[in-house]
Amino acid sequence: MNNITIGQYIPGDSWLHRLDPRIKLFALVALLVGTFIIPISTELSAIIPMGAIFIGMLILTSSSGIPLKKVINGLRPIVFLLTFTFFIQLFFISGGTLLVSFDFHLSVTSILAIILLIIFYNWSKKYVKTRILYFLLITFLVFFVQYLLPYVNLYSYQLDVYDEGLMRAGFIFVRITNVIIMTSLLTFTTMTTDLNYAIESLLKPLKWIKVPVDVIAMMLSLTLRYIPTLLGETEKIMKAQASRGVDFKESKFKDKVIQIISLLIPVFVISFKRAEDLGNAMEVRGYVIGAKRTKIDEYKIGLSDILSIIVVLLILGAIITTRVI
Amino acid sequence: MGIQFQDVSYAYKGFKVNYDAIGHISFDIKAQDEFIAIVGHTGSGKSTLVQHMNALLLPTKGRVVIFDHVLPPKKNEKINYLRQKVGLVFQFPEYQLFEETILKDIMFGPKNFKSSEHEAMEKAKRAAQKVGIDESLYEQSPFRISGGQMRRVAVAGILAMEPDILVLDEPTRGLDPQGRKDLMAIFQEIYEKEHKTIIMITHDMDLVAQYAKRVMVLDNGTLVYDGPKERLFEHPRFEEFHLDMPTPLKILKHLEKEIGLPYKPHYDYPSLLQYLKEVHHE
Repeated sequence: MNNITIGQYIPGDSWLHRLDPRIKLFALVALLVGTFIIPISTELSAIIPMGAIFIGMLILTSSSGIPLKKVINGLRPIVFLLTFTFFIQLFFISGGTLLVSFDFHLSVTSILAIILLIIFYNWSKKYVKTRILYFLLITFLVFFVQYLLPYVNLYSYQLDVYDEGLMRAGFIFVRITNVIIMTSLLTFTTMTTDLNYAIESLLKPLKWIKVPVDVIAMMLSLTLRYIPTLLGETEKIMKAQASRGVDFKESKFKDKVIQIISLLIPVFVISFKRAEDLGNAMEVRGYVIGAKRTKIDEYKIGLSDILSIIVVLLILGAIITTRVI
Repeated sequence: MGIQFQDVSYAYKGFKVNYDAIGHISFDIKAQDEFIAIVGHTGSGKSTLVQHMNALLLPTKGRVVIFDHVLPPKKNEKINYLRQKVGLVFQFPEYQLFEETILKDIMFGPKNFKSSEHEAMEKAKRAAQKVGIDESLYEQSPFRISGGQMRRVAVAGILAMEPDILVLDEPTRGLDPQGRKDLMAIFQEIYEKEHKTIIMITHDMDLVAQYAKRVMVLDNGTLVYDGPKERLFEHPRFEEFHLDMPTPLKILKHLEKEIGLPYKPHYDYPSLLQYLKEVHHE
């Protein structure tokens, strides 16, 4: 329960940390758009900008003082998706010149080996530290045994790797990696309060069409503020109910249902109580919904902010131009 | 043997660093006839300590032995049953209520520990009677009664499991004086009539003086005093424990200083009054 971190801000004093949050958020949106409008193709006009963004992101990361390992860890939740798309692209795109061709066999021996591999992976994964690499290695082995053990064959299929397939697979891989690095750089270098402020000011134009932007921003910041509090309360209730014999590990499914209810209802009740208390506390201190509020921290746009926005706009402009041409 | 701590330490895992909550704590608690108060500052590790007593937390170093069951357990060893033997009432236990009716909520504990519906009902009714919940309230919602009564229902929820040892984390916190008195009377009765061991965290030194037989003082995660309460208040280093004197002792000390009344420890108001009357008659 304790390892859930909302907002993964890593304190630091790099220029990326000091950049105005509004600029950072805007730059992220612009760069995301840029990355996605680069067409998936094997032409140089697509590969060069994508590679440039990738290298740029690596430079940004090292200049921000965030350890590269932390950023790469952000890939962890989607490593399965990445591998999957990589192989799909690799095997199902045919075009260009044929690089290699594999004969794979689903045979009694290879199926047996695959089953053993999966069992071995599930058993051994908790002992391995670099799990992403390990997963990739096992995935590779799953195909390798199909190539290696054709004995007592049941079904054979052929996988052809064309150079275009390989390029596209690599291209998509880099694109997803870029997106992850960008977003994690933002969350690593920006506090949630700053981020919230940035969202609020970027949404400001919506005020003209009567969208209550400041109320939405307040809701957002309160939500972020109360996540750790409610997690703490949930932990307390879990322990209290555990003292009354609730145990998810040692009980049957039928009992688990009522045990989850015994957790949900108290947390629900507490949330309402907290909300009421908070509402009163805010009103006592003069908060009126929709009234004009001032801020303690005023953000000022500095030279580096202007420079970065110009650079980002130039990149976006360049990508759009190549696309149009 | 009830609960045994052998050089127990516990560290909370933080980001990069671990925070030591308690360190190198050893003591024995008998399974019967003990009334122990655990006192100490906020953040001194009291709550962490008591959560070891029913295996909610497992020691990061050292061993806890609960009814001959050694903790930390081996892999796949069942420890849930220990929570029936050592009943732990949390701070503000009224937040744990969730059932439709009061009786059903009290039955939740025994049912989790494999009591049949009928058995659980019997146990729940006995527990409700002990804490003074009127029969007319059994079918009411636990969310529609007063705070003091909710607290009692929650305590009954633990008592219904019929634990051998009862652990209470600040049971009287947030109650009015009458509610505090009533609740303490319930624990006192369980201690006297059923001879169960009661372990109680509290900040109220008056309660310590009046009810506890043995006191443990925690300071910054270490056990600085463990012994009978009589000796605690006479302890030469009492000042260093940063504890308050109980009111009856304060009165007696004051009287000794102001009018030279001979100091004799009395731990509750009736016996203090009795003593003052005796002195007056002499």
